[in-house]
Amino acid sequence: MSELVLTVNPIACDAHGVCASLLPELVARDPWGYPLIAPGPVPAELAEHARRAVASCPTLALRLARVDRAGGSG
Amino acid sequence: MTGAAAAGLARGPLGASVAHPGPGAIVVTSSTPLWYLTRATGVVALVLLTIGMALGLLIAVRFEGRAWPRFITIGLHRNMSLLALAFTAAHVLTTITDNFVPIDLQDAFVPFISPYRPFWLGLGAIAFDLLIALTVTSLVRARLGHRSWRLVHWTAYLCWPVAVLHGLGTGTDTRTRWVLLVTIACVAAVACLLGWRLAQGWPAHLGVRVAGAIALVAALAAGGAWVVTGPLRPGWTGRLGLPAAGPSQLGRDTRGAAGHPGVFRPGHSRPAPAAASPAAPTRIPA
Amino acid sequence: MTAIRATPPGPPQPDPAQLPRLVTPGPPAGLAAHLRRHGPVPALSGPALIASIEQAGLTGRGGAGFPAARKMRAVTTAASRRPGRGRRGGAPAVLANGAESEPASGKDTLLLRQSPHLVLDGIALAAQAVGATEAYLCVAGPQPAAALLAAVAERQRAGLPEAGVRVAAIPHGYVASEESALVNYLSGGPAVPRYVPPRPAERGVGGRPTLVHNVETLAHIALIARYGPDWFAAVGTPDAPGSALVTIGGAVRRPGVYEIALGRPVTELIELAGGTTEPPQAILAGGCFGGWLPLPGAAGVPVSPPGLRAAGAAFGSGLLTVLPVTACVLAETARVLRYLAGQSAGQCGPCTFGLPAIADALAQIAWQGRDRRTAEWLRYLLPVVANRGACHLPDGAVAVAASAIRSFSKEVEQHVTHGPCANASRPPVLPLPRTAPAGRP
Repeated sequence: MSELVLTVNPIACDAHGVCASLLPELVARDPWGYPLIAPGPVPAELAEHARRAVASCPTLALRLARVDRAGGSG
Repeated sequence: MTGAAAAGLARGPLGASVAHPGPGAIVVTSSTPLWYLTRATGVVALVLLTIGMALGLLIAVRFEGRAWPRFITIGLHRNMSLLALAFTAAHVLTTITDNFVPIDLQDAFVPFISPYRPFWLGLGAIAFDLLIALTVTSLVRARLGHRSWRLVHWTAYLCWPVAVLHGLGTGTDTRTRWVLLVTIACVAAVACLLGWRLAQGWPAHLGVRVAGAIALVAALAAGGAWVVTGPLRPGWTGRLGLPAAGPSQLGRDTRGAAGHPGVFRPGHSRPAPAAASPAAPTRIPA
Repeated sequence: MTAIRATPPGPPQPDPAQLPRLVTPGPPAGLAAHLRRHGPVPALSGPALIASIEQAGLTGRGGAGFPAARKMRAVTTAASRRPGRGRRGGAPAVLANGAESEPASGKDTLLLRQSPHLVLDGIALAAQAVGATEAYLCVAGPQPAAALLAAVAERQRAGLPEAGVRVAAIPHGYVASEESALVNYLSGGPAVPRYVPPRPAERGVGGRPTLVHNVETLAHIALIARYGPDWFAAVGTPDAPGSALVTIGGAVRRPGVYEIALGRPVTELIELAGGTTEPPQAILAGGCFGGWLPLPGAAGVPVSPPGLRAAGAAFGSGLLTVLPVTACVLAETARVLRYLAGQSAGQCGPCTFGLPAIADALAQIAWQGRDRRTAEWLRYLLPVVANRGACHLPDGAVAVAASAIRSFSKEVEQHVTHGPCANASRPPVLPLPRTAPAGRP
């Protein structure tokens, strides 16, 4: 059983905040504008929104990865 | 040509109308719809490119409002730029198809090889190439990686002014009031947003910002001076080797067809056709 | 006498309970003295060595405490998965981390000075075990680098098998000795952390799988190869086997680097360092990445990675700093945070902005006091900043700050209600460099 996990590369992230505006259910912003991603997998009904948020990130910092629930990515 | 007989125009070697408003001046006009389309799509493409550029700058300055979240700017920038590319492609297509002028497919992509106004058309080719590169790299951005994409996207700062200069230098309509006003409005809008972009995040990267500001002011001043002394002066197109004048000079005898800049004047930049059949337009070898 | 070794038997196995094992007191051990004491490096196959290390239960001595054998297996797995890739064919590399940028720590520097050949043996063994064709030894400055180059040359003259160890001097900076920062620097970039995944074990220097081990870990590997895993685990505890170098400092009579058996109680180690010079208030265990152990309550806490973790602190790179009752924990913690905030690489927002905010809030509480909102703001900030950077600098900083306000909540209450205590204005106890942050906004 695999699931989608949303992560952000903190070095590439520049606090544009587009992800938070496109996916407010899963992404909030900290006091300096950087994303706070809700822990846990991305629910299936939000997968398309998550993909759109990943494509819209101006610095390509947001990533969506498919991980196996059993092992994880290491 | 419909207006030919009524205006006393004779048929020229390429099947176009040749008017003789006076001794020593040969004016060739064409009332093909392609000619209008070329100019119209050119102006629209410039406006769309300006809007795309403006939205890109708004992304860079992180413009945001209560009713205007970031993703709207990003989505609009993408769509407007794609539309700009579409209209530029139409502009290129109509120019190529309009075989009254010797502009061919390669002149649209390779700059400065056209026999017709090589420099100003070449600028258009450069802008077109850059616009294609910008679009393609943006479509495959996820695969390309952010750094490479960003490097290519910086050329947008070159593409837009080159397009503007192309329009001013080669456009017949530079002296038409409303087109001139539209161009000035486009330049003003982008200049203001560029100023905002340079000012934001002050004083980080101070050297680059100051250099950019100086370059911006210098470019505006130089560009303005050039336009006033060049394309806006009557006979600009003449100085390019072509006698065509705008509608204001020809008066009303061309039945709505404005002066065609694609005029062949024997003895000027290009050699005359070796064997030209009156019916079929031929491409003059450069 | 075991029948495994193919090389002529070296000197007899030393008494496992005899410490120190890694360093000998006196002048630094040259190659001859080293070979006299330990004998030649045994010829062990790669899998045999890794199995030996796994049986010994050796964990990394650089701060992360990751099982050493598991890391080596990760490198061999990555290398077998990508044959021929990378600039130099995908063969792994070994990176020995002796850069030691933790300000209070001195153990790696001491080890490299006193027993360089033990470390170099470890590098050669590790390189052979993972099939590495390149090895790097990272040190903090030109001076240790020169001495190590001489040691490498001595070994080459003696004809010892080498993997061509390259000695690299790393720029100063707390994050510069982080695993991915070293990989970045050796690959030609700046000495700042990179985003992981992929980990250095998969993609490291020049894109090749890289085994990064602390120099002390490699020294232990050199000993395990000679004397076996049972000898190694004869001291220590089942969950923390072996010995380790610790730097004991602060208000003790004989501050310095000691080699200890893991799992001994804190007070025993303080006695080892001559006892305290003043009545102690607390111990900072783990340096800038650790936590506070209030005394006398924490007197019996075992000094080992799991023991200290359970007590809300950390072993880190083996640091114990004693704070006397005449110092103010909040003021010392505020100074640590100010230092760490200045050491941020400035790459990640939560660290670049979060650490100075935490430092400011702690400074406010420590030296101005009388502001309950600051304490609440600080409590809100800590979980927001943790675990959101590319490296563990923000996590460590948050751990120190959180442990201070958790273990010394009475002092926090005192400061916000009545203002700073008298001790807050005393001179600092914790050793921190006086470097100014590098022009960060």
